[in-house]
Amino acid sequence: MDVYCLDHVNFVAQVEHLLPARQNPQTKLKPRRRWRREKTLTRLTTTKRSYAVYWYPNVTDLPPLPPSAVNPISSPNPDFKKPSHHHFIYRHPNGLCVVGYASGHLSDEGGVKGVDFNVRKSDRRDIKVTGKRMKGAMLLRFRENAQQFEADTMLCKISTSVNTYSIRCRVKGSLLEVNEKFVKQPNLLNMSAEREGFIAIIMPKPADWLKVKSKLGGVR
Amino acid sequence: MVAGSEAEEDLRAFREAVSLVPWHVAKDLISREVCLHCIIRLFGIREPAKGFTSLSPSMFSDIVAELPSTGEGLNGIELGENKDKNDDETNEERHPAPSICSVCFGILQICKVNDAEIPFEKNGVNFLANVIADAVKEEGHEFDSFCVEVSTPPAIPENDLSLLSYINSKYGSESWLQKKPLGNIISLKEALKALVTGPLETKLGVNCSQGTFRIWLTYKEASPLTSCDDKTPVAKRQKTDCNNKNTLVACTTYGLVAENEATEPCVDSGKITMTIPTDGFGNGIAYHESSCLSKSREPCSLSIECYRDAVYFGGRYLKYSRNVSQTCWMIDEERMGVTSVEEIISGCILPFCRGDKSKFHAAGREDIDVRMLGSGRPFLVEIQNARHVPSIMDIKGIEEKINESKSKLVRVKHLKLLGSEAWSLMREGEAEKQKQYAAVVWISRPLEDRDLCTLSSFKDLSIMQKTPIRVLHRRSPLEREKIIHWMKIERISGSSQYFVLHLCTQAGTYIKEFVHGDLGRTNPSIGSILGCRAEILQLDVTDVKMDLF
Repeated sequence: MDVYCLDHVNFVAQVEHLLPARQNPQTKLKPRRRWRREKTLTRLTTTKRSYAVYWYPNVTDLPPLPPSAVNPISSPNPDFKKPSHHHFIYRHPNGLCVVGYASGHLSDEGGVKGVDFNVRKSDRRDIKVTGKRMKGAMLLRFRENAQQFEADTMLCKISTSVNTYSIRCRVKGSLLEVNEKFVKQPNLLNMSAEREGFIAIIMPKPADWLKVKSKLGGVR
Repeated sequence: MVAGSEAEEDLRAFREAVSLVPWHVAKDLISREVCLHCIIRLFGIREPAKGFTSLSPSMFSDIVAELPSTGEGLNGIELGENKDKNDDETNEERHPAPSICSVCFGILQICKVNDAEIPFEKNGVNFLANVIADAVKEEGHEFDSFCVEVSTPPAIPENDLSLLSYINSKYGSESWLQKKPLGNIISLKEALKALVTGPLETKLGVNCSQGTFRIWLTYKEASPLTSCDDKTPVAKRQKTDCNNKNTLVACTTYGLVAENEATEPCVDSGKITMTIPTDGFGNGIAYHESSCLSKSREPCSLSIECYRDAVYFGGRYLKYSRNVSQTCWMIDEERMGVTSVEEIISGCILPFCRGDKSKFHAAGREDIDVRMLGSGRPFLVEIQNARHVPSIMDIKGIEEKINESKSKLVRVKHLKLLGSEAWSLMREGEAEKQKQYAAVVWISRPLEDRDLCTLSSFKDLSIMQKTPIRVLHRRSPLEREKIIHWMKIERISGSSQYFVLHLCTQAGTYIKEFVHGDLGRTNPSIGSILGCRAEILQLDVTDVKMDLF
């Protein structure tokens, strides 16, 4: 049984029970630090056996807000006039892109009421992707000329009580997955558009991503 | 002189062996360029135990010349040209300038080793044994037993069979054949092993027995058959019975496919029979055709390799660094991380064993930024063609060397030597493995006491995980069900939003995704259970519950 400790205070609390009662824990406990550089491991030796002590980071070292696991690069387009510019893309370092829609502006329209993935001949929900080579993924089109944004393949249509907006793919690649939760609960887009309310996951080819990158402003 | 008497003894033994063969058959075959070794093994006669270590081919010729004087007293009317054998002008009847056997391509005659022609006068088998022993010593292996494996051109068994059927066709009616049909040919490989093993044992000083050290003799044909119609060396053989007169035989070695009237008797050798189309003269065509190889054919070339079976080292490793990957990880020619566990461990073991290559296998893997603590993760290092197998003391020394190294990135426990059963041990409990982790988790609201109770109350929680986005580019998109056996929260004093989560899960669970929910693709997750956003900062594997090492 080894001891996992966060800091010296915890260390004392954790190991008190290991030591015989007579000893004064405050003065006797000075774990020998073998590896100063790493500070990951020391050994605590009592009369009976030796325990390995693994240190965790000091509390004061922990950041107030940790880095989020999911969105290392996010790029919403700052121009909020056109509806298309509310799309945003999170790109993971491995190349996959998560497409979402910033729906803050829809709240005055009562929020998203419904979503329809059955657009333009095929239901986007019906894609079945299998295998490492992602067989069966749907290929998405993307025209370079930003004016013709309608030329992008449409992913879905979201409807509020007032309007219907079409969500385009914004990046060329294969469509791997559609957010099933979003299909069932369209109001995810109201609550957490940046996280659970994503629309789809797309795998672009490296060359295609480079073309699109420049179009997207504000890479954070 | 001992050597002399040995030689005489061998000669006598050899003469006895030869005398078992009807002499006219022997003469016939010799005239067809079949070496004496092949004749003897064709008749199923085991060469004398001592082998012909001290016989030279010139002595063979003497024996051959003596043939009419031994054996049965058949009058040589049919083979009239042999009448004047005993005359002085027997020189032309003596075996001419030695030619390569058409059946074994010179393998048993030991006339060419490693592209160096051995003149026929030299001592065949001893020379071969010397060459092999030298090659083995050069490699520098340490071994206490060896076994010999031979690989020959595929045409040779075909030659054996065709020769057999030729004999059967030609001499089928004779009494000696009908009394005792030829069935059990000693294969070339057996004969060669029998020849070579004795001298090798004396040269190398160890016994020949099934072990881990193998000496591989590979014979390759020097030049492919060019004058034959069909180059494929495999002759199709079909089961036929003698009564079936209309068998179709495809005989691709010789490019002949014929509707066969089977005029010659076919000998049932038990399993395989081969019927050869005849040319009406009662001689097997096929065998004639096979000497479409020119008279001065090239002997086979020999290459010698020796290797030891793979040696396995097993143990458990601990990884203390958050910048060391498990195996060497390169992205676009750039290495991720400082070094790798594989390199650290193999780098100590491989030079010690003086092996050729090493492979690293571990029971599962962890990310580069995850420490492996506690009891350690079982691993196997496979060393191929090790020259030196370390002893138990040596292995302890290797273990200490890895543990005491300056960088203290990796530590090894319970290192020991294993045989090939190591594989099954590793794979056995893989699916049932349970793993324990400790993670530093942040949540978006202060931690409350009831949260501790909530999480501790989950026993064998079942979660559905879609393939995480961070690996989706190289793994198939599946939904996997995993089990979290138990969870426990440990508070961090001084912080209300950070805590340490200890959990025990089924093998194959993605812990990071379980904590932050992976955009909702993993549920339930810590975030969804506690009803807030959760992120993971650090992860450590604290135990791999496996009964190994």
